[in-house]
Amino acid sequence: MIRYLGRSLRQQLRRSRTLFLLTVVGVALGVASVVAIQTLNRGALQAFDGSVRAVSGQADLTVTGTIPTLDESLLPVVLADPDVTGAWPLLRLDVAVHGRDGLYLDLVGFDVFAPVSYPLIGGDGAGDDAGRLLSEALTVPGWAALTPEFAAGQGWAVGDSVTVSSGSRLAELTIGALVDFKSFEPLAPRRLAVMDIAWAQALLGRPGQVHQIDVTLVPGADADRVAARLAAVLGPGVRVLTPEQRRQDASGLLAAFRLNLTALSLISVFVGLFLVLTAVQAALVRRRTEFGVLRSVGATPRQVLGLILAEAAVVGVVGVALGVPLGWLAALRNLDSVSGTLTSIYVLEGIETLTLPPAVILLAAAVGLCGALIGAVGPALDMARRDPGTLLAPLHLHRRTSGTAGRLAAGALGLAGAATGWFLLAGRDLRAGGFVYGFLMMVSLPLVVPLVVRTITAPVRPRGLGLALSLRNLAVRLQTTSLAVAALAVTASMLVGITILIGSFRATLVTWLDTTIRADVYISTPSWVRAGNDAFLDRPLLDELSARPGVRAVEEQRRLRVRTADGRQLVWLNGVRFAGVAGAELAGRLPLVGGDPYLVVAKLERGGVLIGEPLARKGGYAPGDTLVLAGADGPVALPIAGVAYDYTSEGGTAFVLMPTLIAAFGPTAPNNAALFLDAELDPDEVAAALAADYAGRPLVFRSNRTLRTEVLGIFDQTFAVTRTLQVMALLIAVCGVSLTLLIQARERAGELALLRALGATRRQVFGLFLGEGTAMGALGLVLGLGGGVGLAALLILVINRVWFGWTIQPAWPGAALLGQAALVLAAAAAAAVYPALRAGLSDAGGLTRDDL
Amino acid sequence: MPEPILRCDDVALTYRAADHPDRTVLRGVTLAVAPGEAVSLVGRSGSGKSSLLHLAAGIAVPTAGRVLLAGHDLGSGSERERTLWRRDTVGLVFQFFHLLPHLSVAENVALPGWLGGLAGREVQARTADLLDRVGLADRAADPVGRLSGGEMQRVALCRALLRRPPLVLADEPTGSLDDTTGREVMDLLLALTRAEGGALLFVTHSRQLAAAADRTLRLVDGRLEPERTA
Ligand SMILES: Nc1ncnc2c1ncn2[C@@H]1O[C@H](COP(=O)(O)OP(=O)(O)OP(=O)(O)O)[C@@H](O)[C@H]1O
Ligand SMILES: [Mg+2]
Repeated sequence: MIRYLGRSLRQQLRRSRTLFLLTVVGVALGVASVVAIQTLNRGALQAFDGSVRAVSGQADLTVTGTIPTLDESLLPVVLADPDVTGAWPLLRLDVAVHGRDGLYLDLVGFDVFAPVSYPLIGGDGAGDDAGRLLSEALTVPGWAALTPEFAAGQGWAVGDSVTVSSGSRLAELTIGALVDFKSFEPLAPRRLAVMDIAWAQALLGRPGQVHQIDVTLVPGADADRVAARLAAVLGPGVRVLTPEQRRQDASGLLAAFRLNLTALSLISVFVGLFLVLTAVQAALVRRRTEFGVLRSVGATPRQVLGLILAEAAVVGVVGVALGVPLGWLAALRNLDSVSGTLTSIYVLEGIETLTLPPAVILLAAAVGLCGALIGAVGPALDMARRDPGTLLAPLHLHRRTSGTAGRLAAGALGLAGAATGWFLLAGRDLRAGGFVYGFLMMVSLPLVVPLVVRTITAPVRPRGLGLALSLRNLAVRLQTTSLAVAALAVTASMLVGITILIGSFRATLVTWLDTTIRADVYISTPSWVRAGNDAFLDRPLLDELSARPGVRAVEEQRRLRVRTADGRQLVWLNGVRFAGVAGAELAGRLPLVGGDPYLVVAKLERGGVLIGEPLARKGGYAPGDTLVLAGADGPVALPIAGVAYDYTSEGGTAFVLMPTLIAAFGPTAPNNAALFLDAELDPDEVAAALAADYAGRPLVFRSNRTLRTEVLGIFDQTFAVTRTLQVMALLIAVCGVSLTLLIQARERAGELALLRALGATRRQVFGLFLGEGTAMGALGLVLGLGGGVGLAALLILVINRVWFGWTIQPAWPGAALLGQAALVLAAAAAAAVYPALRAGLSDAGGLTRDDL
Repeated sequence: MPEPILRCDDVALTYRAADHPDRTVLRGVTLAVAPGEAVSLVGRSGSGKSSLLHLAAGIAVPTAGRVLLAGHDLGSGSERERTLWRRDTVGLVFQFFHLLPHLSVAENVALPGWLGGLAGREVQARTADLLDRVGLADRAADPVGRLSGGEMQRVALCRALLRRPPLVLADEPTGSLDDTTGREVMDLLLALTRAEGGALLFVTHSRQLAAAADRTLRLVDGRLEPERTA
């Protein structure tokens, strides 16, 4: 049988190379989308892991503040624990390299005397003694060590000096050594840099500040137990985490993002299944006689089944072999946008390098192989079960299914009904319920396809060559047609659903930006992008700005990364000072979910907090409740004044007035500011003038228009990877159209020969097939529109609310949807071109007795 | 004598294929079919009858000699020209009917009209008229799968005649039918082509049916036997 398998494979390949290729491509694209997403998903976590391991790899525990900074005085308390063998403070600061746009260093200030060592290399290469370098670190002002990769990338060498900025403050660093993190942590970010903590504090204006304390324990100590003990003595403003907990923190932050992408990539796999199913079925119809002969010479049903499945497995293996590199390329292509999303939306480490872990390859292999086998098993079982007699007798497979169309549709209705019932009764309360429900609905969609195709095409009466005749031709081959249409329908649902989601989201965001971006010029610093809450504007600058002619008012903003007192929820707490801005004006800018803006402003003025919608949903808060945050010296209770729409982060955001913030968390400088200008001034001109006046200072001035554009740019970047997935799914579906039509061109050789004998020109036969491809596209589109609207509703109303917590106002992105519809039709038509050419080549001489 | 609708001058046909030796199935065939004439073609199986019909229809091109269809030299025409000449000049009837199962009776008949881009109403009227003449008017909307063999061949006759072709080529039109039915179909074919003024060249194995033609041509091993006057 093995020898027979080899032969029959070779034979199949010779006779149907294109068929085989298309199937393989379908599987490969499905595998590729899984590989791309898993690689990126893992890359996102590994980037975070790599940075944690590089800096704190030698520690068993890390102590951090719930507000980012800790007091140095906590160090002796930590060291006093009997199980602690060592503890050292770290200052962590993202600084921008001055004069180089978008270039940042992740500066680690460490204690030279602490029992932690980083792999330092001196300027003259090997053989350096660490002692000399460390003493230089203490004595040379601004001494810092960069990774060799970063230095090389900038053309810097030991001895060069580099200007960096933190907030509006500039500092001069001297490259005193290189630090080769990659030597022990391959995923360490290139942009890590180390320097003496005292110098870092002094140069960057952080006297006495520490971000984390890394701790080593006596061998055999129970890290969790020690962590709990330390947390108890250090008080509520402090978190003590094991490396594993830190990783879980990051993966928790990214959970929704990752799950969404995974779900989307699974759609591609699902669509790919149809392709395999189509190909296997067609091959089997063609090879019935072969199997009949095999069976009649003594092959068992099991052997036949094995043969068919083995052939499918070969398709799967080749698909995987192609899909893995393809997915890798897709991941690389989307690296920048995903990395950008990680840093801008999630404030995590961006992905510098991707790796293709064996686990992903294994997963891809499993997906590809199982996909191919699942696609093949139905028709294979069907074929294996038949007795040799029926296999050898002529049969028209297509007639048989028309009877089952109704049953399939009934099954689909049953499934959809059961899914809906389950969702309403139980699924709604599960976090993943929306995904499961969506998946079940996506599965039931293909089941209604045969009935819908039949119902739509039944009344069609051809009155000439044209679409009607094409539709009729499709209708009689309901089985193969339905598979291709189903693949298109699922894809179109995804395209339409996501387009509606993105369109609605964007429209919502635009409205929201209109409400909230009311100042004229926004001021921040280059390091703000990475450091966020740890990049400050200095007071003299703000005074200068408010004294500037034409400036009516200055608004200051301070952002603090805090946690709720129970430690569960991360909250970005924004303190806002409205100097010279009237309360009424403020009220008009609050994008409240509900309630009276004047009342909310009044409550804010009395120390209340306005919380963002995602926080309200995730924490179950409502106006009138109290938000309890972990402060440095104990819990900080803030009455909730209202809930506002907020799209800045899927985590929690909250707003208080600056006095409230200072009262709770102590005095600080602002991170950002905004200017309100006199009405006659043009914000763009003022921003440009400010940029010119402050050239050389690490400041960024944006007009409201620029800011808005940039925010929308980030939004679009977030969905870039989605587009890649959409394109992949569409490609798979389109392969399905090609495949189906190629199969038909072959199965209908007799019909085509007859048409040619009756005087049909090649062009007419070509047109007929092109029409069939387009008709499949149109049918898929009709079904996909229905499915897509449902999917969009699910995404917007359920999945998004549960996982992200945003309210998205449904909108109808007409132009985008029209474009998408045109794309699907054009793609289907394009997919028909090659089969149509092949069909057009058929010759009138091909008429023989068995043909029709 | 009027210009013949079909003329073969010293025609030879050799099938060439890469994987087996050349096979010459027709040699030195010369014949002419006048407009309105009914000619039968007989010969043993494998003598080249179908091949000759393929040549006449422009489905195959002669390896040597000339085939003139309504004055067009088929050997010199492009593939597209031959298709169009065939479409506009020839009606074809096959032994195995070759009706399209997914089209209705009327749609099968109308097919050549669709291919020729004729107006819908004109095609409809002509279809109805032909179906009426072969006694199938009441079956127009039926799927062809439900027809008997004789009925199917009658539908095929209508299809062949739809565009009033000056030449009808029929390859064993009764070969799949019993004698009585075959006789009926043959009578219909002759009557209809005569009524429309078209010429008919048909292949048959039946001496009796062959005799119904104006004259009979006999192929022996790819050569035409000299004609005997009837
Ligand atoms: N495409 C082809 N390639 C090679 N040989 C062919 C081809 N078509 C027909 N032949 C051969 O040409 C010869 C004549 O075939 P043709 O079909 O014309 O015979 P026929 O007289 O119609 O026979 P029958 O009465 O059985 O239909 C046969 O020997 C046949 O095998
Ligand atoms: Mg023959």
